[in-house]
Amino acid sequence: MIILSAKNLTKSFGKKIALSNVNVEIPRGRIIGLLGPNGSGKSTFLKLATGLLVPTEGEITIDGAIPGVETKAKTSYLAERTYLNGWMRAEDIIAFFEDFYEDFNRIKAENMLKELNINPSDRLKTMSKGTKEKVQLILIMSRSAELYLLDEPIGGVDPAARDYILNTIITNYKENASVIISTHLIADIEQVLDDIVFISKGEITMTSTVDEIREKYNKSVDGLFREVFKC
Amino acid sequence: MLGKLFKHEVKATGRTFLPMYGALLILTIFTKMALTIGAPDFFTDDIATGPVAEVILGITFTLYVIVITALCVMTFVVIIQRFYKNLFTDEGYLMFSLPVKTWELILSKLLVGLMWSVVCCLMLVISIFILSFGSFSMMEVVQDINMAYTDFNTQFGMSLNIILFELFLCMLVSAISSILLIYASISIGQLFNQHRVLASFGAYIVITIVLQIIVSIILVAVPLLANLDILFSGIDGIKAAQWFINGTTLINLALCVMFYFCTQYIMEKHLNLE
Repeated sequence: MIILSAKNLTKSFGKKIALSNVNVEIPRGRIIGLLGPNGSGKSTFLKLATGLLVPTEGEITIDGAIPGVETKAKTSYLAERTYLNGWMRAEDIIAFFEDFYEDFNRIKAENMLKELNINPSDRLKTMSKGTKEKVQLILIMSRSAELYLLDEPIGGVDPAARDYILNTIITNYKENASVIISTHLIADIEQVLDDIVFISKGEITMTSTVDEIREKYNKSVDGLFREVFKC
Repeated sequence: MLGKLFKHEVKATGRTFLPMYGALLILTIFTKMALTIGAPDFFTDDIATGPVAEVILGITFTLYVIVITALCVMTFVVIIQRFYKNLFTDEGYLMFSLPVKTWELILSKLLVGLMWSVVCCLMLVISIFILSFGSFSMMEVVQDINMAYTDFNTQFGMSLNIILFELFLCMLVSAISSILLIYASISIGQLFNQHRVLASFGAYIVITIVLQIIVSIILVAVPLLANLDILFSGIDGIKAAQWFINGTTLINLALCVMFYFCTQYIMEKHLNLE
């Protein structure tokens, strides 16, 4: 079963081509690392999948449908930036998510906040950047979506919290759901990945399972990445 | 989903407006008290008050005018700021990944903006009513209104309600079209890669100028092409006024549709959050 499929997907901003002729199929039940250097088109790809951008050419489908209300209800997207309103309290934003996403589990969110020692009645503007990112990730992972699109989920948090977050990601998704994680911090997330997609200058250069890489190249994903994208 | 968007929009904007309405009410009551004590004949006679009362009155009046101005400006600013900030800055990442239709996003913002504009007007009316309370008798006011209705009826052979309703409709539609013009301008600004706020201002100014030119041309061309004297010869003044009011409403309605679809098209096809 395919959850996400891209056919000849192209996105350009004016003259700048961000993604060029991307063809990829993401099956259900996998954790996929979308790996590439800065500016390689990772975020653009995830935004296209979320429906924040419209393709210039080609198409992208989630569970067979072009991004819209229906697909947004089953994809859980973590943006690269903190998008939460400063004046809101953590509990306000929980109420917000509960209102708009039917698959949102309030108890799960409250438990995770407690485990990370975040007070639900704190205002978001009083929180540090890392804490805000944690709150955002908690909200995203408290949904039982069919596709999680995580754009740089661990960039701003400390290593101890990284482990907790990765653990949250792998324990919180349904069996038939898939998780796409875009990052360049490969060593940190390598152990949770099933598949990898290497992306460079808007083109997909390699898709493979992590096991295959270890067998074929006798290297870790991180090692291969450093070799492929050597400057 | 429209209801939920509406609810959260009211929540997000109410925290700005409710304290301001509170401040206006408190200040109104304070001004009224100062008036009653310091210048009981303010509304009827020439003001003859002592210097202390004059200073206090001066201060409260100045404050009162400042709060009213602030309230009107804030209403305008919040309408713009909620649309721009909530949809086209970082917050847009959240709003556009919600499972809602684009028209629901636009309409929820529009309705809440319109609601606060109406509430703002109502608050001003209430405030002025409180201030002038006691300086007139309700009986007389009701009698005057009845008089106006009967006078109007005998003079023009129609109910005043019709004209009032048409005027109200005209004002409502033109309010909507000015809000939608702002939305469309902000959206057009998003088409640029840089200086988007500046581009939005530019779009607003250009659209306004173009509309002005079109209106001017129509105003000049119509009397030249059609002989209005014949058209209006059998029509009395009130009919002409009705023509004018309803014509304005219709033109604004057409503009509303244009601005709305421009906004929706950009948001659906050319969304490009920074």
